[in-house]
Amino acid sequence: MSDAEHRTPVSLQGLPQDDPHLQPAAKNPETVQGVIAVLFVLGILGVAAFGAAYWVNAKPWIIGATMGIGLFFLGIGLVAWGKYLMPRGPFVEERHTLANNEADRDAFAAAIVERGGGVVKRRKLLAGLLGGGLGIFGIVAIFPLLRSLGPLPKGTLFHTDWRKGSYAVDSSGRRISQGELTVGSILTIYPEGKQNTDRGQAVDQTVLIRISNENFTTQKGRESWGPKGYVAYSKVCTHLGCPVGLYEQELQLLVCPCHQSMFNVTNGAIPQFGPAPRPLPQLPIYIDADGFIRAQDDYNQPVGPGFWERTNV
Amino acid sequence: MTDVAIPTNKRAQQRAEGPYGKVGKMLGELDDRLGVAKGGRTFMDKIFPDHWSFMLGEIALYSFVILLVTGVFLTLYFVPSSATVIYHGPYKPLDGQRVTEAFASTVNLSFSVRGGLLMRQMHHWAADIFIGSMIVHMARIFFTGAFRKPRELNWTIGVTLLIMAILNGFLGYSLPDDLVSGTGIRIAYSILESIPLAGSYLAFWVFGGNFPGTAVIPRFFIIHCLIIPLVIMGLVGAHLFLLVRQKHTQFPGKDRTEKNVVGSPMYPVFMAKTTGFLFIVGGVTALLGAFAQINPIWQFGPYTASRISYAVQPDWYMGWLDGALRIFPSWEFTGWGHTIPFEVLIPAVIFPGIAFNLAYVWPLLERKFTGDNEIHHLLDRPRNRPKRTAAGVTTLTFMAMLFIASSTDVLANFFHVSLNTVLIVMRVLVIAIPAISYPLTWKICKELQGVDDAGKRKTHNIVVRTAEGEYVAMPSPAYGEDVGHELDPTPIPTYIEPEPEEVRESGVRTVER
Amino acid sequence: MTSSFLRRMPLVVVAGLFVLAPLAVFVGSAQASSYGQTTRKNSGTPNSTTVVKNSKGVVVKYGNKYITYSEPQSKLIKLGQALYSENCASCHGVQANGVPASGVHGAFPNLVGLGPATIDFWIDSGRMPDKDTTAVEAPRRQPALTPTQGEAISAWVNSLDPSYPYIPTVNLKNANVANGMALFALNCAACHTIEGDGDALAFATFAPSLRHIPAFQVAEAIRTGPANMPRFTGNLSDQQVDDIVKYVTTEIQHPQNIGGFGLGGLGPVAEGFVALLIGVGFLALICYWIGDRS
Repeated sequence: MSDAEHRTPVSLQGLPQDDPHLQPAAKNPETVQGVIAVLFVLGILGVAAFGAAYWVNAKPWIIGATMGIGLFFLGIGLVAWGKYLMPRGPFVEERHTLANNEADRDAFAAAIVERGGGVVKRRKLLAGLLGGGLGIFGIVAIFPLLRSLGPLPKGTLFHTDWRKGSYAVDSSGRRISQGELTVGSILTIYPEGKQNTDRGQAVDQTVLIRISNENFTTQKGRESWGPKGYVAYSKVCTHLGCPVGLYEQELQLLVCPCHQSMFNVTNGAIPQFGPAPRPLPQLPIYIDADGFIRAQDDYNQPVGPGFWERTNV
Repeated sequence: MTDVAIPTNKRAQQRAEGPYGKVGKMLGELDDRLGVAKGGRTFMDKIFPDHWSFMLGEIALYSFVILLVTGVFLTLYFVPSSATVIYHGPYKPLDGQRVTEAFASTVNLSFSVRGGLLMRQMHHWAADIFIGSMIVHMARIFFTGAFRKPRELNWTIGVTLLIMAILNGFLGYSLPDDLVSGTGIRIAYSILESIPLAGSYLAFWVFGGNFPGTAVIPRFFIIHCLIIPLVIMGLVGAHLFLLVRQKHTQFPGKDRTEKNVVGSPMYPVFMAKTTGFLFIVGGVTALLGAFAQINPIWQFGPYTASRISYAVQPDWYMGWLDGALRIFPSWEFTGWGHTIPFEVLIPAVIFPGIAFNLAYVWPLLERKFTGDNEIHHLLDRPRNRPKRTAAGVTTLTFMAMLFIASSTDVLANFFHVSLNTVLIVMRVLVIAIPAISYPLTWKICKELQGVDDAGKRKTHNIVVRTAEGEYVAMPSPAYGEDVGHELDPTPIPTYIEPEPEEVRESGVRTVER
Repeated sequence: MTSSFLRRMPLVVVAGLFVLAPLAVFVGSAQASSYGQTTRKNSGTPNSTTVVKNSKGVVVKYGNKYITYSEPQSKLIKLGQALYSENCASCHGVQANGVPASGVHGAFPNLVGLGPATIDFWIDSGRMPDKDTTAVEAPRRQPALTPTQGEAISAWVNSLDPSYPYIPTVNLKNANVANGMALFALNCAACHTIEGDGDALAFATFAPSLRHIPAFQVAEAIRTGPANMPRFTGNLSDQQVDDIVKYVTTEIQHPQNIGGFGLGGLGPVAEGFVALLIGVGFLALICYWIGDRS
């Protein structure tokens, strides 16, 4: 065992131990230490209580409050330790220029341009072929990937499940008869059999409103569409597709709850205010011999918001 | 420092370990393999400026940490499936209702899992705080000109982080499949659908079919929990790496130049403060999660496409888009057998596209207009760059007005005025307020430039009666924290090799570096 | 600090912005009244299991185990007529046909044939007698008349032309709160919001908050459709109305806020303000403490 093996700690250079930069920022460090100790004790109590609260499955707010208090006080204490009891500084550091000198830059550029670039330049055919191959691979990889994510729209955006003679049913599947609604009533209806399907809920949903006791014509050419004052409009807003379930019976408005487009139910749901660009499509309905409300046909235009393929009807 | 009189056994031990004990030995072992001693010490000595506004970004960093931790907890219980189940559980108003597994598992998570509701609420609060602090941090960077050369790349990373965070916030908000978030997904579908040419295809591919599709919840889940978090983590790493590499900016002041950084060393001062701050952010989030209820999905019920609630709004960071959609006029183009829904396309696709791209290219634009191609490490005071400051304030007020426009119904209800009136007023204000705020800000900046100690705290005047009986008023000394450090900055004291000769003579081996 | 204060505080700031509004014209008020009151006469007693008639064969009570509808007591008719001419006749006319002394037809609603539940609802919820007849809607107020006085007026109006529905009494014991939740989400939330807070609707109309409405008034409103509210008659059975009333009087009025303070049920708007002011704002203050200010 020789002392030659023994290493001593290297000494501090630059500042004497009693340099003001190395003193705590606090004027009375002992007091601050006491305060921080109290904060830490509070923090310890908090996290311990958190453990206990979690163990006994206390109410969520108790678990959260104990955890929050524990972390908060530990954090405040630690910050205070750093701010008041550690070397106050300020210290300074040189900022070295990031840029290298001209020679280094040139060498780097030369390596890229001359060494590599030269090789490629000489074999343009190979480079082109490689690039082409990778490009095709990229396109091939992207196209089937994207394509396989879902089906093509095809005609599905243009039609709903309403057919000639479809019975209108409510959300529980009950057929709606003509005595069901009084003037001022609204009901969400679906084509029979679709009321519990995603498509029935999202696309076929229709509001049935009774605005009068007499046959009601909303627009020219729709004379038979409002038997006994019943009118039916698509419930899918033409703005962004929210369900237009808000009916104000004195104003005779259907309002979209999302962006407040307002549709006048007496004139074919022409938008009266708000961002919706088009009227809600009206469903032609009739009342059959048994008094049930049924569709004359599908909507005469796509329901819901606009899209590129949508033709002007 | 050295203590020679050590018992033999301990001496033997110390000899084996070196003068710094077990830690020293461990670091030595590490250095043998990785060569970290030099770089590690440089890192420990790194100087961070102390200005408070430089910590705003840390709020975002630490709320992201909280998001990761709470998010992992949530994935253990959440079931990302749109399959229909009948809910049976402690919340009676939903008992027997048809809900998706995603919704049912979120309700179970809130009611039956120990600490589950707290974790959910902390996760949601942390997300709101995450994006909020990012915007505040971004505003600080913008108004002080910290994005200028050489930091344009880091600005770009920051903007990307913001977009990723907003996107992930929306996806996460959608996962529980409750009535309110389902409405948001419906709107997102329609926005995709509005894109010319590809819109309906894009919508079908993202949703796996016509709305509502069955693929959304599982797809959103994996994007929300894996893909975007990985992207954010990578970008945060790059953000911080560039920060360390380029060193922090600093405000101009005593002894501060373009060639130095004045502040506190990484270890231990900055590390204590920043670790403490991590705990504080965690504590505040936990307290919010404990006492402030957020997104009570059991009260909203499950989403089905024909159910709707009035007053549904997205989370606040999407509010500006919702506001834009509300106030934009109903301009739709139809012709040649095609429809272009500008009333959706412009506010929800083109406008955000312009907004974020403008943010991306701002550093280049400013460099082009000012012709300033210098490297800057000292920050601007906002008043000294009136045009930039005015542009920033205008953008912020514009966004704020759009955000307010997303609650037209709440405003109309509160002031008991017509909803239609409020909407028309908002259409005007969205243009008018930003238009006013540009010249106003510019003017205020110009005025402030003329005042020397604007923004400084005034001190008391002390009136003194002199021996002659004359009264003299004089200002009292400045507040301690206003004068800055009374000491001159000094290089960080560093442990270097001991004085060479005489120690060698005593036979002590010097440390190889 | 109450939650309503919390959510209103930021809005007060916004209030200042409206002073600048160059277009502070009330577009809504004029257009709102241009649509006339639709005529309506309630259908009878579609899903009643018990019907009680008096000696003259007039139905005095009908219903089932979910809701019982009772005719207002006939002994109150005289009192009702006196109260009517004192409080209502100036607008609705001495014949309650909506023709006031000025003789203008259609200026005010015709009350004949509306059914006792309608009259009772408007009086008992404090909307009538109205204080400001120029307003688009009569808001809910502290009732000016007692429940008995309301019943008396409805007894007299009903004696002019007996009609349904009678005044309902809801039996919540037989209600299913889960069905109520589903029906509420489908039928009510579009206006009253899913948390029942109500909001501003088209023009200057408002869906009122459901937080403090007694059970029988909820049932009355569903059955009679006051003002702009649609009426639910044949499309909701008494059992379904009972379920909805149960949901409203339990979960809407006493929500299970197991996650802490409810933030006024305003959802993301209030949450955003809390996150920004309390979350980001408070943490920024902590930053201000941690760092230097020079």
